[in-house]
Amino acid sequence: MVKDASNVKQPRKTMQQAVGFNFYDVFVVGFCVIFAAICFYPMWYVLVASVTPYEQFVKGGALLWPNGGVDFQYYKMIFENSSFVTSLWISASKTVLGTLLSVLVTSTMAYAVSKVHVPGMKLLNVLTVFTMFFAGGLIPTYLLYIDLKLIRTYWVMVLPYGLSITYFIIMRNYFSYSVPRELEDAARIDGCNDVRVFFQVILPLSKPMLAAVGLFIAVGFWNDYYSYMMYIATKPTLQPFAWVLRRVLTDSAMMSQMRTGAVDIGAQLPPPMALRMATIICAMVPIMCVYPFLQKHFAKGVLIGAVKE
Amino acid sequence: MTTTLKKALALAMCLSMLVLAVPGFASGEATGPEANAARETVNIRFSQYANSVDDQEGMANDPIKKAIEQAVNITLEYDTGIEGYDDRLSTELAVGMAPDLFPTWGEATKIRQFAEEEAVYDIAAIINAEPERYPILYKIINTDEYKMYNKMYTGDENKAYAIYSFSARAYPSFAGVPAYNTAILEEVNDGKVPATVDEFVAFTQKAVEAGYSGWWPYNAKLTNWAEIDGTIARPQGTSLRTPATYDWMWTGFVPDDESKIGTEEEHWTLMTVSDESKEVMKTLAEMYANDGIHNGVGTLVDEDDGYAAFNNKTLASYGYSYGYYTQFKKLYDSWMKAHPDDGSLADLTLGTALTDSEGNWPRVYDVPSYVGAHYFIPTSCAYPDRVLDLVEFLASNEGQNLLFRGIEGLTYTMDGDTVVYNLDEFVNINKSYGYPNPDRCRYMWFSYLFCASEMKLDLENNDWWDAVTTPYDNTLDWAEGEARECYQYAIDTVQAFVDNVYVQLPSYYGLAALDAEWGKVQTTLFEITNRYLSQMLGGQLDVETGWEQYRAEFEAAGGPALEEAVNEAIREARENFG
Amino acid sequence: MSGQTGVPRTRYFSKEPRESLLIRFSLAVRKYWFIYLLAIPGFLFLAVFSYAPMYGVVLAFKDFKMNLGVMGSPWVGLTHYQELFADPAFIQAFKNTVIINIYNLIFGFTFNVFLALMINELQMKRLKSVVQTCVYLPYFLSWVIFAGLVQVFLQAPVPGDVGGVVNQVIQSMGGQPIDFMKQPGMFRGILVITNIIKTAGYSTIIYLAAVAGVDPALYEAAAIDGANRRDMLFHITIPRILPSVAVMFLLSISQLFLSNFDQVYNLYNNFVLNTGDVLSTYIYRISLGGGGEFELSTAANLLLNVMGLIALVVTNRFVKKLDVMGIF
Repeated sequence: MVKDASNVKQPRKTMQQAVGFNFYDVFVVGFCVIFAAICFYPMWYVLVASVTPYEQFVKGGALLWPNGGVDFQYYKMIFENSSFVTSLWISASKTVLGTLLSVLVTSTMAYAVSKVHVPGMKLLNVLTVFTMFFAGGLIPTYLLYIDLKLIRTYWVMVLPYGLSITYFIIMRNYFSYSVPRELEDAARIDGCNDVRVFFQVILPLSKPMLAAVGLFIAVGFWNDYYSYMMYIATKPTLQPFAWVLRRVLTDSAMMSQMRTGAVDIGAQLPPPMALRMATIICAMVPIMCVYPFLQKHFAKGVLIGAVKE
Repeated sequence: MTTTLKKALALAMCLSMLVLAVPGFASGEATGPEANAARETVNIRFSQYANSVDDQEGMANDPIKKAIEQAVNITLEYDTGIEGYDDRLSTELAVGMAPDLFPTWGEATKIRQFAEEEAVYDIAAIINAEPERYPILYKIINTDEYKMYNKMYTGDENKAYAIYSFSARAYPSFAGVPAYNTAILEEVNDGKVPATVDEFVAFTQKAVEAGYSGWWPYNAKLTNWAEIDGTIARPQGTSLRTPATYDWMWTGFVPDDESKIGTEEEHWTLMTVSDESKEVMKTLAEMYANDGIHNGVGTLVDEDDGYAAFNNKTLASYGYSYGYYTQFKKLYDSWMKAHPDDGSLADLTLGTALTDSEGNWPRVYDVPSYVGAHYFIPTSCAYPDRVLDLVEFLASNEGQNLLFRGIEGLTYTMDGDTVVYNLDEFVNINKSYGYPNPDRCRYMWFSYLFCASEMKLDLENNDWWDAVTTPYDNTLDWAEGEARECYQYAIDTVQAFVDNVYVQLPSYYGLAALDAEWGKVQTTLFEITNRYLSQMLGGQLDVETGWEQYRAEFEAAGGPALEEAVNEAIREARENFG
Repeated sequence: MSGQTGVPRTRYFSKEPRESLLIRFSLAVRKYWFIYLLAIPGFLFLAVFSYAPMYGVVLAFKDFKMNLGVMGSPWVGLTHYQELFADPAFIQAFKNTVIINIYNLIFGFTFNVFLALMINELQMKRLKSVVQTCVYLPYFLSWVIFAGLVQVFLQAPVPGDVGGVVNQVIQSMGGQPIDFMKQPGMFRGILVITNIIKTAGYSTIIYLAAVAGVDPALYEAAAIDGANRRDMLFHITIPRILPSVAVMFLLSISQLFLSNFDQVYNLYNNFVLNTGDVLSTYIYRISLGGGGEFELSTAANLLLNVMGLIALVVTNRFVKKLDVMGIF
């Protein structure tokens, strides 16, 4: 990297610059726009389908625009269902709590471990990465949660995810690579101790990464339904939104795989496709609202002018 | 709001306990609800597949739940799920947190495993210790048939680890009847319902030529061949299927001589990879290649895409085991939803079982009652006696009436001896549990505790086996209007041919069991069959060239050995129970 | 300038003389107490939630009995592995898993980096933000829905139905319609492409966050020196995100033997089992959709994870040679 940076100084083929420039820009814009369109269309399809009346929906084909009028009945159905509202609240609160906890625990430990010169940190690093590959499995985990009195409580959806190994690794590398050492050194020369270095230098500099990792962790919490499904299961007041969504999406498909013996157990018509689509839209809206605030952080450059040479 | 309700409920419970406790103490040895009032109030977690517990308020106001709680002097906690349900239950059982009364799908291997690993109670021991406390259960578990099942499952006829549940039907059933779009049937076939396999194949072809797509057999992305097999293969005297562990073990088998069934000379042949099956597969592959079978079969989901194609009038016929008449109502409901203004029952024509070109009917070999969802009490439960009090109550006529008629004056009234149902009130209760449609008239919990086809049993006055094999179906009592016509139409249509098709096997067939290690072989064969048949149907593999490879792999994986084992198991069952 | 990217790590090595471990440690604690303090919460979570239940891996070599518990159940050695390896379908599923993951690595991973760079190169602020928002949308469609849409778009025409968008386009250009979902040869391609569409945008976030830390003055200085945008891309941006790329690459390597159940389960069908069946779907099928197969799934997971670990350690070595910090 040292040598790369110095290369920048060398003058380049200025002759081609004008020609190459335009083509390059066209390519960049073209590529991004086409891919963005490909990504946007499925979402648009879902949105259109969620407001298309069922009689029209069965006529099928690709939807560009809602044929036969817009019909908000499915959204009404969703909001009339009390569990949707409760579950939104559960999801929001566990996402906020869990993300705060996880970002705090993960980033502080990542910072500590990034200080490889501190005795024991290399070992701690290996110990942490190791757990990515060896997990005890369902039964010991369940027994542990029983011992910790977590089973059938709200906290089973939050606490176990306090330390995220993947983001620990990403954060750790970010701290040891992307946060300039000189800034730390300069701060120390200015008389800062470890504590002030961390809070006044490192944390502000890591905002983009903290925002990005925070978003990932938050989305992880928002989408997690497994902990409810496995460890709570029958306390609807604790139901996260992701689980409600999951049930709307997959339950009918699961039911059709019913064992052959008892033909009619619980079987009923699957929820209409449009209802599933409407549920997805509802699930996305909260994250869509948070996203721009976070995007601001990781899309914009952070000024690192303070300490230079 | 909910808290207030809970408090009110709790108060009501306490009051009712007090009221009931007094006579309970007084009579001492009394049985039934009076005795329960004197017993400890416990919380019983009851588990059942595919309900919903989202509506807490509705549940708190559920009068049937209250009535049961009051009668047994317990609080009921409902537990349910669909996705992850089996996984969760087996985990909970392994860590000692299982619901106090929970089901399996009736797999013999599970009962044996639970018993060996002491995960569930031997209910016979508890019941036999207090016959006067559990009079109905005592009668049930001491019948010969119950003991036979004990013996079949665990080898010891005096140990009952489960409350056996059976899936008896009020009407015999036959899987493999296509339903037609009447308009298309009239357009391309002059309204004539195909009666033979050849006619059916020709019909689908005519439909394709007229611009429709042909037939959509229910198939669960080609992992379930029952519909295809029942419609096309069985009439031609063969079968494409391999038994999965949850099927009857003779699925895919055909008897060498039907008249010898029940005698020492009976013998069954596994037809899965036979030459006859190969010919059937050729027909199917040809149909598929010509769009006589809808192209989405095998990749798309039946309920969504199959129904959509049918409702959109692009599909000539759909098959979804319409021999079971409530399934036909599902198709009807979905049709009406897509055609709210102009749809009617007359738009759908229910076909008949197809015959081969000589008019030979397909044969369905069945025992009177399917294995259903057996219920267990885990050893982690501290009060199995109280759980059995609940079961005892539900087995009584009072309990059965509560489940299948509800509460007099609310969900039904008596007009002389006739029950007059109030469907709306029943739906009002069940909608809290995820069933908002007026398509069933029974309580959605405990409904398959004794009878997996969810019908009312008279266990009080009948012998257990008689009761479970003659359940009472109340559908035609409550259904009204076109819904009733729809049910009646399906029942009548099936009744017209079912006697030609349905062969009832001697009851020892239901007691034949394979050793646990065959489960692995069955699963492997099932995999092989699905893989090869799908690829031959889809044209990825030519039937002519692929069949030998299929047969070789099938036989190497234990096909012939399974055939021997099944015949052996049937022989053993005949000798032990016949 | 060169200082921006850090100083060799050797500078931080402790020079203290070798003393007994305890003394050294207590000295270190006194000196770096704050660092240790920061590590404590994470360490506790690690100990409780990761290490406490870890004894469960022994189930891979045991026959689990509910009444005997995990530790009390009898040992059965490698029986579970023999069972798995005896089945040709397992071997096929294993091969498919690895092949699909390698494709994902070659095409998906590079595409993600490329997309991040392209988005970073977008000059128009508004367009950039719109593009970013669009590309990350599909991530929020669950695979159940996304797979359903893929089927709708790729559907082949049948009598009474014109087929999906893709086939309509092919036909309008005079081509023969293709029944995509039933071609074993195309299935892995479909998996890779759908995976790209669904996750590429989302995974650029990490890279964009890494680029966001670059001092704009760097670009200004480079521009003054006469560098064009491509030069800046290759000499400023790419080196800057290289550590993140390396970490993401290593993380992908560690997942080399694991498969995305939700994606494959919702897209595959019996026609494409030969190329599309992966380990997770295979295990799901043989355990009949759930329940009780604790030992088998523990055994399979242990095997796959150990292999992932080995792949990671090997790759980590090579990555470290590139002067980029690895995972260990």
